[in-house]
Amino acid sequence: MREESWFRPYIRQHGWRFAIVIALSLLTVLAASSLMFTSGFLISKSALRPENILLVYVPVVLVRTFGISRAVIHYVERLASHDAILRILSKMRVRLYRMLEPQALFIRSRYRTGDVLGVLADDIEYLQNVYLRTVFPTVVALIMYIAVVVLLGWYDIGFAFLMGLYLFVLVFVLPGVSLRITYARHEQMKQQRSRLYRKLTDAVLGMGDWMISGRAAQFAAAYEADEQRVAAIERSLSRWARGRMFIAQCIVGLTVVSMAYWSGQQAASGSFTVTLIAAFTLVVFPLMDAFLPVSEAIEKIPQYRDSLARLNEMRDDGGDLGVDPSATGLPLPAGQAAYIQLTDVCYRYPSSEQLAREVADPQVSNWTLEDIQLDLPQGKRVAIIGRSGAGKSTLLKLVQGALVPNNGEVLINGVPAHHYGEQIASVVSVLNQRPHLFDTTVANNIRLGRRDASDEEIAVVAQQVKLDQLIASLPEGYATPMLETGQRFSGGERQRIALARVLLQNTPVVILDEPTVGLDPRTERDLLQTIFHALQGKSLLWITHHLVGVEQMDEVIFIEDGRVAMRGTHAELMEREPRYAKLYRLDRPQIHI
Amino acid sequence: MGKDIMGLKGAKSVLALTAFLTLVQSVSIILLATWLAEVISALFAGQPLQEQYGKMAMFLFAFILRQITGLAMQKLAYRFAETTGRDLQQQLLQKLFELGPRFAKKEGTGNLVTLVLDGITQFRTYLELIVPRMMGVAITPALIVLFIFVKDPTAALILIVTLPILIAFMILIGLATKKHTEKQLETYRKLSNHFVDSLRGLETLKFLGRSRSHGDTIEQVSDRYRSATMKTLRMAFLSSFALDFFTMLSVASVAVSLGLRLINGEMGLEVALLVLILAPEYFLPVRMVGADYHATLKGKEAGKAMQAMIAEEGLKVGESVLPVGFTWTKDSVLSLSHVNVQHEAEGPSSLQDVSLEIAGMKRIGIIGESGAGKSTLIDVLGGFLQPNVGTFRLDGVTIPGLHDAAWRGETTYIPQHPYIFDMSLADNVRFYRPEASDEEVAEAIAAAGLQELVAQLTHGMNEVIGNGGRQLSGGQEQRVALARAFLSDRSVILLDEPTAHLDIETEMEIKETMLPLFADKLVFLATHRLHWMTDMDLILVMDQGRLAEMGTHEELLLQRGVYYGLMTAEMEGIL
Repeated sequence: MREESWFRPYIRQHGWRFAIVIALSLLTVLAASSLMFTSGFLISKSALRPENILLVYVPVVLVRTFGISRAVIHYVERLASHDAILRILSKMRVRLYRMLEPQALFIRSRYRTGDVLGVLADDIEYLQNVYLRTVFPTVVALIMYIAVVVLLGWYDIGFAFLMGLYLFVLVFVLPGVSLRITYARHEQMKQQRSRLYRKLTDAVLGMGDWMISGRAAQFAAAYEADEQRVAAIERSLSRWARGRMFIAQCIVGLTVVSMAYWSGQQAASGSFTVTLIAAFTLVVFPLMDAFLPVSEAIEKIPQYRDSLARLNEMRDDGGDLGVDPSATGLPLPAGQAAYIQLTDVCYRYPSSEQLAREVADPQVSNWTLEDIQLDLPQGKRVAIIGRSGAGKSTLLKLVQGALVPNNGEVLINGVPAHHYGEQIASVVSVLNQRPHLFDTTVANNIRLGRRDASDEEIAVVAQQVKLDQLIASLPEGYATPMLETGQRFSGGERQRIALARVLLQNTPVVILDEPTVGLDPRTERDLLQTIFHALQGKSLLWITHHLVGVEQMDEVIFIEDGRVAMRGTHAELMEREPRYAKLYRLDRPQIHI
Repeated sequence: MGKDIMGLKGAKSVLALTAFLTLVQSVSIILLATWLAEVISALFAGQPLQEQYGKMAMFLFAFILRQITGLAMQKLAYRFAETTGRDLQQQLLQKLFELGPRFAKKEGTGNLVTLVLDGITQFRTYLELIVPRMMGVAITPALIVLFIFVKDPTAALILIVTLPILIAFMILIGLATKKHTEKQLETYRKLSNHFVDSLRGLETLKFLGRSRSHGDTIEQVSDRYRSATMKTLRMAFLSSFALDFFTMLSVASVAVSLGLRLINGEMGLEVALLVLILAPEYFLPVRMVGADYHATLKGKEAGKAMQAMIAEEGLKVGESVLPVGFTWTKDSVLSLSHVNVQHEAEGPSSLQDVSLEIAGMKRIGIIGESGAGKSTLIDVLGGFLQPNVGTFRLDGVTIPGLHDAAWRGETTYIPQHPYIFDMSLADNVRFYRPEASDEEVAEAIAAAGLQELVAQLTHGMNEVIGNGGRQLSGGQEQRVALARAFLSDRSVILLDEPTAHLDIETEMEIKETMLPLFADKLVFLATHRLHWMTDMDLILVMDQGRLAEMGTHEELLLQRGVYYGLMTAEMEGIL
C-alpha cells in the first residue's frame, strides 16, 4: 500500500476520465495534422486544375472543419483534464486529512520543524503536474508513435522502419538520456536550493544578530557563493535543455526531408498520386508537436519524488501509542458530572517517539510520568506547574485518553479515559496556548463549540467572555470574517473567542493549557479573571507558567522530571515550602514603603 | 510591455543583438519555406529526385539556421536574466539588512524569503521570455506578411485582417476573465485556503470532537472549489481558444482561397505551397506570447514587488563619525534628545519627544504597559529603527543615529526569542566573535549555565542545534544568547522582554544567571515583569510613547505616579 500509493490508485479510479482526456488530446493532434494534410492535398489537387470545382469540394470542407475543430477540441480537452485532476486532488486532500486526523494531538511534537502541514498541502497541489505535465503528454506521444509507424507501414514497411527510428530517438532515446543526464543535477540543485532557503530564513530570523555583530556583509558574501553554485548547475541544465531541443529539431528537419524524398519516390513510382507529396511533407510539422514535449515531461519525474516521498512517509497510525484510533466510545450525557481519578499513573513513550521528544525530556529518565495521583471530583480546580519537558502535556494527553498509561489507571466516572474515544470531547474541553481560529466568521468560529447553537446562545457566551461590545463595534458584527490567522484580533481577544467556543461545548471538565503565555500582565490578569468567572462549577486542570491566580485553585501541583515535587493549597505551600514562597514573590513583588 | 526592461543594465545591447538574431531567423524561415515549396512543386511536376538534392540540403541548412538563431537568442536572454537576477539579489540582500528586523517582522519571514528566492527565479523567467518574445512579435510577422504580400496579396490580406481581430478578442476575453475572477476572488481564496486551514486547526477540531466529521466537509469544500475553479478556467481557457481558433481558421481560409485560385489558374503551386507553409509561422510569435503570458505576468509582478522593496528607505551603515577605537567606558555619555518615532505618517507616535542622558555603566530597566513604547525604544537604541525626529550624541559627538557601526560594535542584543542558527552550539555561541577559541566558548557556556545541556549532547558543544538539529527549550535559547553576550564581552547589552514567556522556575534561574553578567555593563532591559526592577540602577517608565517617569525603584514608588500604578495593579491579583 505504501509505495507510489499516492499515484497509481487514482489512475485506476479515474480510468475512463483519463481515457477521455487522452482521446481528446489525440484528436487535437489529429485535427491539427489533418488541417495541414488536407490543405496540402487541396492545393495540389487544385493545381491539377480539375474541370469541376466540386471535385475539391470535400477537401475544402474538411480543411475548414479541421481548422475549427482543432481549437474546439483542444479547449474541451484542457477543461476535461483539469476537471479530472481537480477531482483527484479532492480525493487526495480527504485522504491526507483522514491520515493525519487520528494523530492530531501529536503532530506538533512529532514534526517540530517548520510548517509541515503547509508543506504537505502544497505537495498535493504539486502532484497535479504529474498527470498534466508528464502522464498525459507521454501517453499521447506513445500512442501517436504507434499510429504513425503502423500507418506508414501500410504504404511502405522499409520507410515506416526509418521513421520509427527517427521518432524512437524523440520518444525514447532523448528522454532517456535527458533523464540520466539531468537526474543527478536536479537532485543537486534541489539540495542546494533548499540550503539557500534555509540560509536565507536563518538570516531573516536572526537578522538582529547579523546586523549587530557586524557580520551582515560576511553573510551576503557566503550566500552569494552558495548562489553561484546553484547558478552553475542551473546553467548546465539550461545548456542541456537547449542542446536537447536542437537535436530534436534536427530530427524534425531530417524527417521533413526524408518525407519529401520518400513521397517523391512513391509518386514517381506511381505508388500514390502526386497530390499526396505536399500533404505528406506538410503534415510532419504539426505531427512533431506531439513528440517534442516528451523529454521535458520525463525530465520532471525527479521533481515529484520528494512530494510523493513526503506523503508516503506520513504515518497513518496513532496505534503505536496504545490507543485504538477507531474507538468511538459513548458520549457523556449533557450536564452530567465527571469524576476524574488518576491512580499510580506511569507513562513512557515508545522508543520511536522518544527520539522526537528528546528536548521535552532532558534528563532522559525512563518514565515521562511516574506515580501520579490525582483526584478531581466535579468542580475541583487544580493548577499544574513545571518546567518545559516536566511531563505536563503528557499528563493532559492521558486525561484526554489520547495516551494509555503503562501503569495505573486514568478513570473518568470509573471508565478508562481512552475508552471514550472521540466522545471525550463531551467530557473534556481544551483552551490551549494558540487555539486555531478558522478562516470564517466570528460567529462560525464560536459555533464550532456546538453546531446547533442559536444566534442568541452565541451572543450569550460572547457576553460571558466580555467580547460582546467589541463584536458589536465591528462593521459586520458576528458575521465579520476572522481573516486568515485572525490578525484582526489581539492575543487576549483570540483567547476569548476560543473561550466562548469552550463555553458552548459545555463540558464538565476544562483543560487550560498555558492560555496566557505571551500576554502582558494586565491582559493576563483580565483574561484569567474572565476564565475563572465563566467556568465556575466546572473542574479545571490548569497548566500555568506564572503564579498569578493560583490563590483561586483548590490544589497546586509542581511536577519535576515526571514526578510530583510539591503539592497542596496555595496557603499550605506558602507556609511549608520556602521555594514556593520565593517563586511567588518573584511573580508578585511586594511593595515595602 | 517592456518599458521596465530598458532601464536594466546591458538591456540595450541585448535587445539590439536579439533584434538582429530575430531578423536572421525570420529570413531563414522565409528561405526554408521557399526551398521546401520548390522541392515539393518540382517533385509534383515529376522532375527527378536527384535534381532536388541541392534544394533539400539548402532547406535543411535554412531549417538548422533558424534553430541556431533561436538557441543563440535563448542563450543571450538567459545570460542577461542571470546577471540581472544576481544584481537584483545583491541589492535585495543589502536592502534587507538596511531595513532590519522590524521590516522583516512586518512583511513576514516566509514572504521575504519567497520574494528573494522564488521572486528572482520568476523575474528571471520573465526576462528570459520577454526579450525574445518582444522582438519576435515586433519583427517576424511583419517580415513574413510583407514577403507573402509580394507573392500573393490576397493571402496576405487574409492574414493581416485576422491578427487585429484575434488580438481584440483576446483582450476582450482577458478583461471578462479578470472581471469574473475579481468577483470570485474572496470565495476563491477561502476555498483554496480551506484545506490548509483545516490541517492547521486539526488539533483544535480534535478538542472540539469535530475532527472526524470534518473529513466530509473537506470533501464538500474541495468539490465546491473544483466547480469554482472550473468556472474560472472555462473563461480563462477561452483566450487561448480564441488564439487557436482564429489562427486555424485563418490558415484554413488561406488554404481554401489558394485552392480556388489554383483551380482558376491565377497562381502556381509553388507560390501556393510557400504561402501555406508561411501562414502558421506568421501567427507563431503571437501564439508563443499567449502561451507564456502567465509565466511572464508572475515574473513581472515579482519584479515590481522587488523594486518596491529596494525603493524602501533603509538605514545605510557607513563610516562611523566617532573617533577611531571608540569604546563605551564608565566615563562615556549617551544622550537622546526629542526622539520621535511615528510608523505611519498619520498614525500615532510610538515614541514621543523622548530625551534622556545615560552615563557610564548602569543597569536600566524600561517598563510600561504593552504598546507604551518599550520595544520601540530598544529598537532605537539598537539602531534598528531610525526615529523621524531626534538627535543623538555619544561622548559629545553628534551622530546621525544609533546604527553607527562603532556603537553597534559595542552592543549585544537579546530578544524575547533569541534566534538559534542552524549551526553547532559552539558556533552559535561564538556568533559575535567567530575567532573565539574552544576554551573561551566553553567558558561562556559554563557562565551561561549550559554545561548540563552540553553534557547530554552526543557531540558536546559541537552538536548542531536549531531548526535542522536539536531543538532547545525557551530557557535554553535564552542561555545561548547569554553565552553569546558573555563571549562577545561588549559593553552595552540590550534585552527585550527576555523572560516573560518562560515558566516561573526557569525565569528565576535565568535571572540568577543574568544578573552577574550585567556587572560593569550598560544594560537596557525592557520588560513588563516588575521583579526585575529592584535590581536596576535606573528605571525608565514609558506611558503611551512618552518617557513618563525616571528614577530608582524607591524614588518612583514615592512619586506615586505611573510606576506606582503598575505595581499596585499587579498586587491586586485576581478577584
